[in-house]
Amino acid sequence: MRYKETKKNPKAAIIIKDVSKSFIVPHEKVNTLRGVFTGLFKKNQYDILHALKNISFNIKKGEFIGIVGRNGSGKSTLLKILAGVYTAGSGSVFVDGAISPFLELGIGFNPELSGRDNVYLNAIVLGLSEKEIDEKFDEIVEFSELGRFIDQKLKNYSSGMNMRLAFSVAIHANRDILLMDEVLAVGDSNFQSKCITEFMKHRAQGRTIIFVTHDIGSVQKYCDRAILLRNGELVKMGIPEDVCNAYIQQNMEDEQVRMTMEQSHRDHKPAKIILKKSVEILKADFIDETGDTRQVFETGEIFAIRISFKINKPVSILNIGVGIHAISGGQVFGCNTQMDGYLIDLSKSEITFKLNEMPILKGDYYLNVVCFGEVEQDYYDVKPQFKNLKIYTSGHKYRYKGILDIDHSWEG
Amino acid sequence: MKKNHENYKELILRLAKTDFKLRYHGSVLGYVWAILKPLLLFLILNFVFSSVFNFKNMGIPYYTLDLLTGLLIFSFFAEGTSAGIASLLSKSQLVTKIYVPRWTIVIASTLNALFVFGMNLIIMIGFFAYYGKAPSIESILMFIFYIMLLYALVVAIAFLLAPLFARFRDIGMIWEVLLSVLMYAAPIIYPLTLLPVHLQKLILFNPIAFIIHFAKQGLIANHFATGGQILLISLGVGVVLGISFMIFRKNERNVAEYL
Repeated sequence: MRYKETKKNPKAAIIIKDVSKSFIVPHEKVNTLRGVFTGLFKKNQYDILHALKNISFNIKKGEFIGIVGRNGSGKSTLLKILAGVYTAGSGSVFVDGAISPFLELGIGFNPELSGRDNVYLNAIVLGLSEKEIDEKFDEIVEFSELGRFIDQKLKNYSSGMNMRLAFSVAIHANRDILLMDEVLAVGDSNFQSKCITEFMKHRAQGRTIIFVTHDIGSVQKYCDRAILLRNGELVKMGIPEDVCNAYIQQNMEDEQVRMTMEQSHRDHKPAKIILKKSVEILKADFIDETGDTRQVFETGEIFAIRISFKINKPVSILNIGVGIHAISGGQVFGCNTQMDGYLIDLSKSEITFKLNEMPILKGDYYLNVVCFGEVEQDYYDVKPQFKNLKIYTSGHKYRYKGILDIDHSWEG
Repeated sequence: MKKNHENYKELILRLAKTDFKLRYHGSVLGYVWAILKPLLLFLILNFVFSSVFNFKNMGIPYYTLDLLTGLLIFSFFAEGTSAGIASLLSKSQLVTKIYVPRWTIVIASTLNALFVFGMNLIIMIGFFAYYGKAPSIESILMFIFYIMLLYALVVAIAFLLAPLFARFRDIGMIWEVLLSVLMYAAPIIYPLTLLPVHLQKLILFNPIAFIIHFAKQGLIANHFATGGQILLISLGVGVVLGISFMIFRKNERNVAEYL
């Protein structure tokens, strides 16, 4: 009863139609009978959480699919329905081929048993027969590089060794459809690349791979198609580039909301430094190319900083400076009109600082704005951490380290 | 769709084997403990009822064998049901992180009690030899049949209560209390013949009491239930097993959400 058969599409590995799943979330988890009886007399003891809403999609045989989405978007619920751990509340799920029914590596692993016993236990739970395990045992051990330790108890293994053994069993399980929940995050880099090679081999053999991750880098690198979930709804399905961009966009929007709220919080704080205030800085905004005000940008996306000021007492000279700092510490860039020899038109109340390139990598930054007279120490107004700035990086650059995206090339 | 697990037997046996290894692992005497527990209870009860109340002189010459057989059968029932009821919770990883047919988990957990009972039979044989009592072939066959019947009942109860236990943790406590009631409701420490006749009939309506009474009566006194009675109880246990399995299949669908 778990799967409904449809024979319309012989090339499809998975057909999901209008699948919904909701959970009853009690305000207080009732797991005693007393709780049930006392609960009878209270009202509204639970919320209904719609984890998945009318999800439909097809996955072809041999496809490598990545599922992305923020925490709580329904990724894991979807995977659990595919694996058969949860039954769909409504809709139909059709799976053609043996599915690797696990979501985590090393299910059933027990620290008190030897590596050997654990291999047998785990493999049989994954659906291998004892005979198949006997045949593949040496291969499994060899792949895990744990030959010397195989008869030791699992509790004496490091967590890395544990994962290696688990992964090794998993890929030898030979299912037609592989489901993986955040697997690429385990093991050292050597082992990771080995895993990816192994994934590629599986894919070359025509297996279908579905994996859930936060790492858009690997989705773009390996997947044929990707799925974006948000609040239980399928927002986008298509080529990884598009889906990842949509995901980044979504994150940026959410971030924007969060930062605006944070900002309004900060604005209510009274200023601690008392300054001359002959000139006051009123506002600073990040303006994108279309003229919109935003606080989240992508690496390479140029923007301008528009600063509004008010002159309270006439001054002869006015200089304005900006500084971009990383929240983690360190100034990224800072300059002022004096350094650049720019004279501010005192009849205006606004000045725009334009960036012609924006090589800042992903991270949280903030903007300082100051204004001063003839010497830099003679401040009229100082606005430390005036505005927060969030930078996103997508594509292969996502994995770059540091603050700056320095234009580069490799030669040899 | 292709099945992921073609070989349920291997899966169940591997799970049961692991259970067995883990249970007695790290203790010096190993599975001797599994035997020692009911044996110790037996020695105490035997002392109390043979020496203090002296059932032996009340027309029950083999009270010691009677008590031992009854206790071992009941401890098999108690261990099997307790392990079966707790199975889905204690192996929650196999329910929430993977799909294996859930009934295999329940069966595998009850098997351990059957293993231990097999071990205990060695002690039983020893006592029977010591008292010079050789049961007839048909009584041994009936004994095996009764144990199979009881095992079916153990599995039925486990199917019924294991998914419920995942939702309501106090099922475990309730079952523990119920077990001690059941122990006194079955003719284990007292011989059935000690009771008034109308009460005897009433007690035998309890399938556990029926199985225990006639299993040991066969071995010790070569006294059997009527064919009709045996047919009735077999049918009854079969129906209960069938119904509880159907209820299990319905309940297991959502069980992952409660673990």
